[in-house]
Amino acid sequence: MVVGNAESMKSDLLSSLSIRWIKLKTKQQEVLIRVSILCLVYILAFISRLFSVLRYESMIHEFDPYFNYRTTLFLTQKGFYEFWNWFDSESWYPLGRIIGGTLYPGLMVTAALLYWSLRFLRFAVHIREVCVLTAPFFASNTTLVAYFFGKEIWDSGAGLVAAALIAICPGYISRSVAGSYDNEGVAIFALLLTFYLFVRAVNTGSLAWALASAFGYFYMVSAWGGYVFIINLIPLYVLVLLLTGRYSMRLYVAYNSMYVLGMLLAMQIRFVGFQHVQSGEHMAAMGVFFLMQVFYLLDWVKHLLSDTKLFQAFLRVTVTCAVGVGVIALGVGTASGYISPWTGRFYSLLDPTYAKDHIPIIASVSEHQPTAWSSFMFDFHILLFLFPAGLYFCFKRLSDATIFIVMYGLTSMYFAGVMVRLILVATPAVCLISAIAVSATIKNLTYLLRTKRKVSQTGSTEGINGAKASSKALLDRSQPFQKNSAIALLFGAFYLLSKYATHCNWVTSEAYSSPSIVLAARGAHGDRVIFDDYREAYFWLRQNTPQDAKVMSWWDYGYQITAMGNRTVIVDNNTWNNTHIATVGRAMSSYEDEAYEIMRSLDVDYVLVVFGGVTGYSSDDINKFLWMVRIGGGVFPVIKEPHYLVNGEYRVDKGASPKMLNCLMYKLSYYRFGELMTEYGKPPGYDRARGVEIGNKDVKLEYLEEAFTTSNWIVRIYKVKPPNNRW
Amino acid sequence: MAPSSTAATAQTSSMDPIFHILKIVPYSFLTPPRLRLKLPSFSLPSPMTVFALILLTYFMVVSGIVYDVIVEPPGIGSTQDPVTGSVRPVVFLPGRVNGQYIIEGLSSGFMFVLGGVGIILMDLALEKNRAKTVKVFSIH
Repeated sequence: MVVGNAESMKSDLLSSLSIRWIKLKTKQQEVLIRVSILCLVYILAFISRLFSVLRYESMIHEFDPYFNYRTTLFLTQKGFYEFWNWFDSESWYPLGRIIGGTLYPGLMVTAALLYWSLRFLRFAVHIREVCVLTAPFFASNTTLVAYFFGKEIWDSGAGLVAAALIAICPGYISRSVAGSYDNEGVAIFALLLTFYLFVRAVNTGSLAWALASAFGYFYMVSAWGGYVFIINLIPLYVLVLLLTGRYSMRLYVAYNSMYVLGMLLAMQIRFVGFQHVQSGEHMAAMGVFFLMQVFYLLDWVKHLLSDTKLFQAFLRVTVTCAVGVGVIALGVGTASGYISPWTGRFYSLLDPTYAKDHIPIIASVSEHQPTAWSSFMFDFHILLFLFPAGLYFCFKRLSDATIFIVMYGLTSMYFAGVMVRLILVATPAVCLISAIAVSATIKNLTYLLRTKRKVSQTGSTEGINGAKASSKALLDRSQPFQKNSAIALLFGAFYLLSKYATHCNWVTSEAYSSPSIVLAARGAHGDRVIFDDYREAYFWLRQNTPQDAKVMSWWDYGYQITAMGNRTVIVDNNTWNNTHIATVGRAMSSYEDEAYEIMRSLDVDYVLVVFGGVTGYSSDDINKFLWMVRIGGGVFPVIKEPHYLVNGEYRVDKGASPKMLNCLMYKLSYYRFGELMTEYGKPPGYDRARGVEIGNKDVKLEYLEEAFTTSNWIVRIYKVKPPNNRW
Repeated sequence: MAPSSTAATAQTSSMDPIFHILKIVPYSFLTPPRLRLKLPSFSLPSPMTVFALILLTYFMVVSGIVYDVIVEPPGIGSTQDPVTGSVRPVVFLPGRVNGQYIIEGLSSGFMFVLGGVGIILMDLALEKNRAKTVKVFSIH
């Protein structure tokens, strides 16, 4: 009876719903559908980033997020002013680091505000949960911005498609899964928001939108160093508009107010400071700002002068003077050192070969490598061929907004080609442009189908407008199979889009949800094996070493050691002091006695190395070792790369060079490894990460002693012995 | 037109004496050649020309030209057959996520551009005011 009741109620509800549905006008229905799609996309973007929490647990990923987590913790515990004035003596020993002045605080402040507001609403959450979920939350917000952006440059259909595409695009997911608590997580939201508001300001010429985009820019500056992209792309865009004769009052209002206010706001961030007026990277924006004023002046004079000849002469003189003054100012500024030259990072983007030759510390990071086609394919999938089609549609309907998105797409695609990691910046543009292609194509096809149906209906039922209908039918017959082919093409489009969805899902769950602090591998029988060695080692450090112990390791692990092990490190991932890193690199690549001298001078108590020979984990210190040699050799010429190679080949087996077999890194990695059977049917001391039997099985340590080795040998910690009694 | 030209001549006649000397000294025995030099006029290219250029750059970026220049991979890989000992070509670089051979990158970049051109042709086929030949060509 209850069931019957419920069923009748259900049918009642259904009928009332359907009646309401009928009562809605077409426009209201459209709004309803649009809003519900947006809500679904919003939720989808959030939940597809939770794979990592389901697979592992709610934890912070990778390297940099640990620093961000540590600072956020500090901020929520001690308050903003303590955070702002924080001098951290636990890293870069003995130099220390002024945290407040050397970081972008946007992410931490955002997470802390979320945390405080949740607390205020009486949700007793832990700060870690807030940090873990910050990136997915902002990814969801990005989909909304993408919708409005798409609506601004094309139509609401393209906006919806863009929101759906960006929600699951692997290029963006790779940096915004739950737990990847990094600057990029909020910065992409801020980037897209700034661009959207700026385009909106250019389209409307409204001061309010320009002001909003200045605030968006301020948020971006506070969150990520990638703001340099905005402050160079927008002037470039304005310049292109000027050159193509699209100068307008709207552009003048939008750019000037955005630039001036954005610059003043950005100066409030301590790490950025006066760079907007003093650094070479920001000079393009200032130059375009002055150019705009010259343009305005010229426009005004043209308005006053009726004589075109005189105006031409005036134009020539003014432009020459303005450019001359600009060049002189730039030259004087650079020569006097007031304007700093371009930084290496910026320069290496424009000239990709620069970093390879001059800055090994930038070239050594794997995410700074140039991009191969497979990475593009992995991160964009079908967007790669929707992108040129979308560009075509943009060029077909050129407007201020489409010119902007085209320029954003092209520049960011180029940067994505130079550095793998910048695929992230290109993703919103690629999604938006692809959305235009999808939307326009599907609209074309469905329009074809629907007009056909209408024509045939009018033909069969009414038959009044006979002449018109027959002429249309004639036209139809002239293009045979057009309807059928349209249906086929529509199915093709949906097939491709569904393939995109499955690809994104697969990539997210398999590749991008790994925290990289807990390693997972497939066992011999296909089961999942978890290696939790990193945390084991860091907790050992926290529990078993003295409070003031100093740990030396390669810089990759610095943030994790301070955040999880709570011990002082020599170098960490904030690679601000090249000499200090080179000193550590030199110690790692010297003989034990020389290394001991360096370690004594740095007051090192423990040395931590990461070793994958037992588990086959390939990104360990032995594989990174050549970079230590290169970076060390860049500052201390006694370290020479050829000493560690044999005929230009890097090897660790019997044929390795004697220097390699006896350097500190080799000894620490392979200490006691010669006794160990790693794989059935192989001799003892078989390195599974490199697939060779090691060359020096009898490693003896004189100045260090083994303190701790984790269960899978991934992290090995050694204690530096005190000096012998001077007797 | 006429008043302005007279004004110009009046202006030249009332110029300073150095100009007169300059007018007499070199040009009394030198006749300036009749040049047809023009300042290079700058005209904007059509949108579709720009688009074609952009498509070319897109092809280069997507096929990983920057990677080819910096990492300098071989054009195509080769491997030795363990049984027969003969050398066979390898098209795709195995074992690495972010790596490629040059030919591999170029051909995949070509495929991406080809896919994009396909969608563009679809739009051309559906356009109302386009020649029928283009339509039939594009749809088949």
